Amino acid sequence: MEARDLVKRYGDLVAVAGVGFEVARGECFGFLGPNGAGKSTTIRMITCRIPPTAGELRVLGLDVRRRVPAIKARMGVVSQEDNLDQGLTSFENLVLHGLYYGLGRGEAERRARELLDFMALGEKAEARPQYLSGGQRRRLAIARALVNEPELLVLDEPTTGLDPQARILVWERLAELRDRGVTLVLTTHYMEEATRLSDRLVLMDHGRIIAGGRAQALVRRELGGEVVELSEGGAGAGGEGDGLGARLADFAARHDRLVRRLERTRRGWQLFTPAGEELLRVLEAEGLRTRHHRVREADLEDLFLTMTGRELEER
Amino acid sequence: MSVEAPLERDDRPRLQDWAWPRPTRGALMVWLRDWTAWRKFYVSSLLAHFGEPVLSLLALGLGLGLYVTRIQGMSFVEFMGPGLVASTAMNAVSFDLVWGGYDRLHWTRAYDAMMASPLAPEEIAAGELLWQATRAVLYGGFFLLVLAVFGLVRSWTALGVLPVLALTGVVFGGPALAVASLARAEEQLSYYFSLVIQPMFLFSGIFFPVERLGPVLRTAAEFLPLYHVVRLSRALVTGAWRPEMAWSLLVLATFAALAALLPVGFFRKALERIA
Repeated sequence: MEARDLVKRYGDLVAVAGVGFEVARGECFGFLGPNGAGKSTTIRMITCRIPPTAGELRVLGLDVRRRVPAIKARMGVVSQEDNLDQGLTSFENLVLHGLYYGLGRGEAERRARELLDFMALGEKAEARPQYLSGGQRRRLAIARALVNEPELLVLDEPTTGLDPQARILVWERLAELRDRGVTLVLTTHYMEEATRLSDRLVLMDHGRIIAGGRAQALVRRELGGEVVELSEGGAGAGGEGDGLGARLADFAARHDRLVRRLERTRRGWQLFTPAGEELLRVLEAEGLRTRHHRVREADLEDLFLTMTGRELEER
Repeated sequence: MSVEAPLERDDRPRLQDWAWPRPTRGALMVWLRDWTAWRKFYVSSLLAHFGEPVLSLLALGLGLGLYVTRIQGMSFVEFMGPGLVASTAMNAVSFDLVWGGYDRLHWTRAYDAMMASPLAPEEIAAGELLWQATRAVLYGGFFLLVLAVFGLVRSWTALGVLPVLALTGVVFGGPALAVASLARAEEQLSYYFSLVIQPMFLFSGIFFPVERLGPVLRTAAEFLPLYHVVRLSRALVTGAWRPEMAWSLLVLATFAALAALLPVGFFRKALERIA
């Protein structure tokens, strides 16, 4: 899959403002970003549901503007909203979906049984979706997207709204599919999901890609990989009274090799660094180590926060 | 809804959005979907659509019928019966696809799922219209059977009503899918019933001969598709088929062709809106 300068506008609203990315066969690729970042719009263009306003997009090597049925035949889609057929049982949902793809009835039924087992839904074959739990419905939607044995599976927020157990089951199945060689493309606003499943990911905000790469490498490149957190403890701590902020800014400027970035947080300061323990020693030597301090690994959440000033998940 | 939902979109279908429904193998699979879903609850569904015409027949036929001597040489019940066959088909089709279509677009989003597959909007539309043709035959035919049991069917030509009902399914299926696609809110769906279906029910010659309304209204009735279904049904059920009836058949076939062409543009836009 390959996108270049991809744009989607609705009147004056620019949902996707010129993005480019490449996804290799067999890879798991993640779009990460808050609501409104343009992830879902990008997905809709990939799944040939809305045409791009401008730019190039090739999926499975085919142009999304010209080869819609050919692309859809080789792709599976799990949409963000529940769209199971409430008039049909779980089994019928899979069989009919297979028939829409042009499978023969026998083949569709065989795959339906196999996929119900794969998604641990064998006992729910005769139940209609309204009698399934949220996790079961999502698994059924994923099973349905696999009925045409797609080379590419596209998932828009596959685990949003699921409880932790249900989420882990979905992750395990997706990892299994990836190991079988199915290309996965997914959107998420969960860090853990992106880190666990994606080989590579891009961070999106306001319709643009603001960073991209392998999760760990990305964090290391942008932030150094570790973070030293300082706070003076207690309620309302970290006030500017003693000029700690100014002194830290001065410190950061003098040690630009050690301090990649200085961030003010609600509770204190964060110093992003390639070498946490070393930085802490230098801070101590200069009398800047506060009473409460710790070193931890930086993650995608930190990266997103420092780049946009916003949190990924709405809390 | 996420913030990504566009604030404004060009919702008017353009000329190139329109197409005839395409009756492919894929369309047959959409028909099979509807059949599979219907089969689960067919008894209650048939009975639900059966109740209304039966009540009309009893209340009007036996109640009002006491004051009505004879219409065109028939008892009031005999006169109304074939007309109610027509309206039963119209209602069964309209309710199913107006509400069901809106349901599959916006609530269950089953059409959204179909659009992940290579099915095209015109194939889905074709499947839905084929299913409505089937429904019209099933529901109208069931009521016809009841009339036969009560001795209100006079001729074997009544079997000819079945293909007329199939056409009726398309005639009312097309607008039903268009209305389901155009509606922005559930409440809007009921306007179609109060402004189109209900007047059609009252002025298509089911309860009284439209010919008595005078030349202006008589001509206006020619533009009501249900009027032609009622005429055909009455002629076939009572065995009073005359060659002039071919006109009604021709008009009905024309309505069916136009009705089939009506929904695809709106349906395509609705599918883009929910994408």
